[in-house]
Amino acid sequence: MIYKILLTIWMNLIIAAVFLYVEPAAGFPGEVSRILFFHVPTAWVATLAFFLSMIASCVYLITRKVNADFLAQSSAELGFLFCFLATVTGSIFAKATWGSFWNWDPRQTSIVMLLMIYGAYFVLRSAVPDHEKRRVFAGVYSILAFCTVPFLVFVVPRITSSLHPEDTLNPASPGMDMKTLIFFLGSLCAYTGLFVWMLRLKVRMLKIMDKEQGVKFKV
Amino acid sequence: MFALTTLVAVSFSIGSFRIEESERPFLYAVLLWIILVFSALSGLSRSFVKEQEAGTMDILKLSARPQAVFLGKLFFNLTMLGALGLIIVPAFILLMGYKIKFPGCFAAIMVTGGLGLGAGTTLVAAMIAQADARGALFSALSFPLLLPLVITAIKGSERAAYGISAAGWPEVKIATAYAVIMITVSLLLFPLIWEE
Repeated sequence: MIYKILLTIWMNLIIAAVFLYVEPAAGFPGEVSRILFFHVPTAWVATLAFFLSMIASCVYLITRKVNADFLAQSSAELGFLFCFLATVTGSIFAKATWGSFWNWDPRQTSIVMLLMIYGAYFVLRSAVPDHEKRRVFAGVYSILAFCTVPFLVFVVPRITSSLHPEDTLNPASPGMDMKTLIFFLGSLCAYTGLFVWMLRLKVRMLKIMDKEQGVKFKV
Repeated sequence: MFALTTLVAVSFSIGSFRIEESERPFLYAVLLWIILVFSALSGLSRSFVKEQEAGTMDILKLSARPQAVFLGKLFFNLTMLGALGLIIVPAFILLMGYKIKFPGCFAAIMVTGGLGLGAGTTLVAAMIAQADARGALFSALSFPLLLPLVITAIKGSERAAYGISAAGWPEVKIATAYAVIMITVSLLLFPLIWEE
């Protein structure tokens, strides 16, 4: 409970601050660079969630503990949600700076493929009737799909050039001033906290649903 | 059969002169890979379903090591893809008037692309044989996995056919890396699926 309240306060503070306190970055028209505080954290959380889902799948395949599969499934679902949000916010930014919502920039291509991969993951989950088998298959597919991600992230963007702002708005490069950096990291923390909270809820929900099904089966 | 039908349809409706000279490199590469991928998928999806339908799956599970089964299926799929490529690619070149600047590089991208196709889909075929709605599920599961490969292969064939230089063969290297990674991971994961 206290976690939820703290998270709400923290998130609201960050949202208020990035609009009222931080100046927009130079080199971008108007206020568009403020999307940095929302787009990048969602993309980061999506990456984190997919990575966590893959690790949990590995753990499940090795130990066969049902809880690991609950974690893998919840994490993949939340990752899908955040990945979708990253796509939408990125698309809005693309409209504002490049002039169109969608132009198959390598970044857009790779994020859409990620959405497709995890879409397929959910299709697979719903198509295997046996519980045990479904968990194993989903785990295997999740690992297999994760192996294609490096190709999307590193290889495809190198074949075709990208317009994605990297150097101008990357925390590692000197292009970002101190104030922006602090609030950017604050936003990153807020989103990660939100993800952890949602993940715990989701896992709890799956556990309860599983228990209920077990009870029904016994009766 | 599907491959030939598509090829004839494409060639009939587009012909060798319908597309502007400047747009040919890209469009031809895309068309060729669309034909190849779709005709390959219809065959690849059957590789394990056949065993399931004939009822030989259980005996195979008892008599052979999972790795051996996987490699056997992989080689069968690759042979099938090779045969398909040997028919489709020359026919496409003849029918569409496809001029290729760097035949060596073009052949290499076809071979490595085919290798990647087989490597990426064999494990999925093993999974869908034990699930519902097999045909639809197979395409849904394998497209996302194959997309990076297909994009690379299209770029590669475009470069080999009309590019300025084919030095370094970057796409061939990427496709090879993809195939090697997919085969390795599949070999590790296949026993888990097989023993279910």
